[in-house]
Amino acid sequence: MSESSNEVMSDVKLRHVRRQRTKEMRMQLTSFGLMIFLTFTAFGMVALDFNATFITGAVLLFAFIQVVLQFYYFMHMKDKGHDFAKLFMIVGMYFAIAFCVTFIYIVWIGAPIS
Amino acid sequence: MSTATTQKRGFLGTIWEYMTTVDHKKIAILYLIAGGFFFALGGIEAMLIRIQLAVPNNDFLSAGLFNEVITMHGTTMIFLAAMPLLFAFMNATVPLQIGARDVAFPFLNALGVWLFIFGGIFLNLSWFLGGAPDAGWTSYASLSIISPGHGIDFYAVGLQIAGAGTLISGINFVTTIITMRAPGMTYMRMPLMTWTTLIASVLIVFAFPPLTVGLFLLIFDRMFGSNFFIVEAGGNTIIWEHLFWIFGHPEVYVLILPAFGIFSEIFATFARKRLFGYSAMVFATVLIGFFGFMVWAHHMFTVGLGPTANAIFALATMAIAVPTGIKIFNWIFTIWGGSIEFTTPMMYALAFIPSFVMGGVTGIMQAVAPADYQYHDSYFIVAHFHYVIVGGVVFALLAGLHYYWPLMFSTMLNEKLGKVTFWFFLLGFHCTFLIQHFLGLWGMPRRVFTYLDGQGYNAANMISTVGAFMMAFAVIVLLINVVITLVKNEKVGRDPWGDGRTLEWSLPLPVPYYNFAQTPLIRGLDAFWLEKKEGNGEMLPAESLDDFHMPNNSIIPFIISLGLFIAGFGSLYFASGKDWAIDAVANLPERPWAIWLLVIGLAITFISMIVRSFKDDLGYYVKKEELIKDLEEQERGAK
Amino acid sequence: MAEMKYNVPNNQWPEHPERATQEGKNKFAGFWTFLGGETVLFASLFATYLALKDSVPSDDHLLAADLFHLELAFVMTMLLLTSSLTSVYAVYQMRNNNFSKMQLWLAVTVLLGAGFLALEIYEFYEYVQLGHTFRSSAFGSAFYILIGTHGFHVIIGLIWISGLIIRNATRGLSVYTAAKVNTAALYWHFIDVVWVFIFTIVYLLGVL
Repeated sequence: MSESSNEVMSDVKLRHVRRQRTKEMRMQLTSFGLMIFLTFTAFGMVALDFNATFITGAVLLFAFIQVVLQFYYFMHMKDKGHDFAKLFMIVGMYFAIAFCVTFIYIVWIGAPIS
Repeated sequence: MSTATTQKRGFLGTIWEYMTTVDHKKIAILYLIAGGFFFALGGIEAMLIRIQLAVPNNDFLSAGLFNEVITMHGTTMIFLAAMPLLFAFMNATVPLQIGARDVAFPFLNALGVWLFIFGGIFLNLSWFLGGAPDAGWTSYASLSIISPGHGIDFYAVGLQIAGAGTLISGINFVTTIITMRAPGMTYMRMPLMTWTTLIASVLIVFAFPPLTVGLFLLIFDRMFGSNFFIVEAGGNTIIWEHLFWIFGHPEVYVLILPAFGIFSEIFATFARKRLFGYSAMVFATVLIGFFGFMVWAHHMFTVGLGPTANAIFALATMAIAVPTGIKIFNWIFTIWGGSIEFTTPMMYALAFIPSFVMGGVTGIMQAVAPADYQYHDSYFIVAHFHYVIVGGVVFALLAGLHYYWPLMFSTMLNEKLGKVTFWFFLLGFHCTFLIQHFLGLWGMPRRVFTYLDGQGYNAANMISTVGAFMMAFAVIVLLINVVITLVKNEKVGRDPWGDGRTLEWSLPLPVPYYNFAQTPLIRGLDAFWLEKKEGNGEMLPAESLDDFHMPNNSIIPFIISLGLFIAGFGSLYFASGKDWAIDAVANLPERPWAIWLLVIGLAITFISMIVRSFKDDLGYYVKKEELIKDLEEQERGAK
Repeated sequence: MAEMKYNVPNNQWPEHPERATQEGKNKFAGFWTFLGGETVLFASLFATYLALKDSVPSDDHLLAADLFHLELAFVMTMLLLTSSLTSVYAVYQMRNNNFSKMQLWLAVTVLLGAGFLALEIYEFYEYVQLGHTFRSSAFGSAFYILIGTHGFHVIIGLIWISGLIIRNATRGLSVYTAAKVNTAALYWHFIDVVWVFIFTIVYLLGVL
């Protein structure tokens, strides 16, 4: 904190930075709209009793898209300096999938998988 | 503060200093003391096991006590000895190796060590409070769910507290290495010790949460009436095995990777050669770390996961041999043609290569799933993991102790006594565990408290016990060595080994509390060696001499940990006599005061966290004048 | 003693205030590392739930399809999604050096989060009335520990953000407090990410 610079931003730069932020906010609002839409669709599909296999794939895909939006826009992962964050999340997600797959298919539930 | 001011404060002042310290060098010493204590404890338990097994039909320990002793030996050695001792060396070296003045989160560093210490004490208090855990260090749910008394609860709650500390330390090291490197210290210029610390810390971050979950499930099942592992209510004990090994397998890489790091430093230093194949070493480290997560089910081949799962996990396990082999070859090529100096750390490093390879080879044997059905739960397994953990990790700890002792205490351990320790330990180790391979192949199961006469196990077990006593003798010599060195207190100066390559040896000893008066400029791999070769003899500064900022000491980490320690007892005794707990706990007498212990403990922790976050803790400045004075003093000392 | 400048003029406010100091950078990197660990924590709970979701002691026990109704889950999802957006607004105002608006958006976030929590408590209460409890079956245990751990994270998040509002009320905005606000916002988004998977895997796929 000691190094907190007292650099003074020029008015032009300040205006530019602000404009960038407003632009970013617009992107965030758009992605929020998209997330709401995906949620609606997901709930709608389940409520309307479509084919179960189709719904499973579709809602999982929607969830994944939502999460990517959340990470990239809401949590600013698209900005630079987020390489490690991305790496950690990708590795974490990979492990998450591995755990779930092994638990579903390998845990004995009553009887071993034939 | 500097050592001079600490000494003036007297004994109590020193204790207070250590209780409140956030300095990574002092925290390293805390880890070393606490880890060393638990190492001795685990060693005593090991001796009890070997005495009990020395002769057939022995009744030195009863069957129940034997179960407690093996459980506590494994748990103590892994969680409370090996890992903290590695943390001691990581704390002592990593910030210095990357040219930082402290870790990224000094406060969390202190919190990590105190959580570990309190968790370890909590776990070991079980000996005095109604019996230790007795379901093995793996604590498989089918055993632990019916274990009577509070032993398993001590295990679960104690590891929960210590594990939280480890997780915090892991996050701290990852962040430190990502953000705190000195100018010019690119990733591919980091010493191998730093690289292995980074990967091991990443493994901690990903491996400890599954353990946390598993332990919570166990706690809830035993004490709060849930049904995760209760088969009658639909539960499934295989879930525990999965969660435990999802943690447990990366855990062995958490242990071995920093050990590899220590050895890589020692090989390069005492062969006086640059580490062979540096980038391949880094790549192999990353690969081992990643594969380490994809192999956990090889501990569960006999569970009956089916041929497909077994085949996948067997292949992944065998694949780990490739990066490990790369490392072994690189070490051999490093010493090849080097001008080798046979110091004590180097002796351990040289002995490590064949010992560890033997452990690795038996590992590959067990990776063959059908063959593993034969080895499973026999002494072959015991021999295998002691070969990798003692032959790899403990050798590294002993080597690191000798190698980094001058950095931590600015004195040198006695080389002669060090070599006595080395030879006794090496011979004792092989004497103890080599024969156990054969015991296993002859059919002796692990975790049995005795065996019958006439089964052909007598001589082999006796040999094993004799070896264990040799190791114990070696450790006693080491202790004597430490005491002699501390009493003599002959200070050494900068670069005491004479061949230091990495940044930590460029510092004056004792290392000033701010580490670097000026942040150094890193111009290549083996930064200090580079400057020595170019005739500078010391690091070039990357900044002009100026005031800089350091963190304040704080007692809050100690209090937070104390609060959790108290709450641990509360949660444990709260379940006694409650009808929703499992029978083994419900039968115990009810403790009406337990709820208050729980509330008070959590309140202490929570309030101290609030206090911490509501205060602006901005640290203090080290003034330029003080630095100039210190630098002048060093100059005079050097002449 | 180091000093911290609060409420600096706009042209001295850095472009990325949350990462303007070494401590800010550390917090940022450390917190993402922590979130990596949290991912694995929730992965373990999800895996446990998926393994036990049909495990009940006898046939007359309630299962997911008998219990869940989507209306409640939908409203909860909307509340949490919106609260995620409001915390984005808070960070936006923080970067624009607009302290009072930042506080306002943080307060809105807390209100929405509290609404979510209230609905979750209501939901649990309803299930317990129906006989679906933590102790009734392995399915019950796995359900409550997964949703409960998420709920616990929500509680922590609410305490954290309200704590920030209170502690900063008298101080204002500085690069020191900016890093704190940003970290809390990251945490809150992550809670939302987990909830996206919960409503998909537990609720939507549960009633199929």
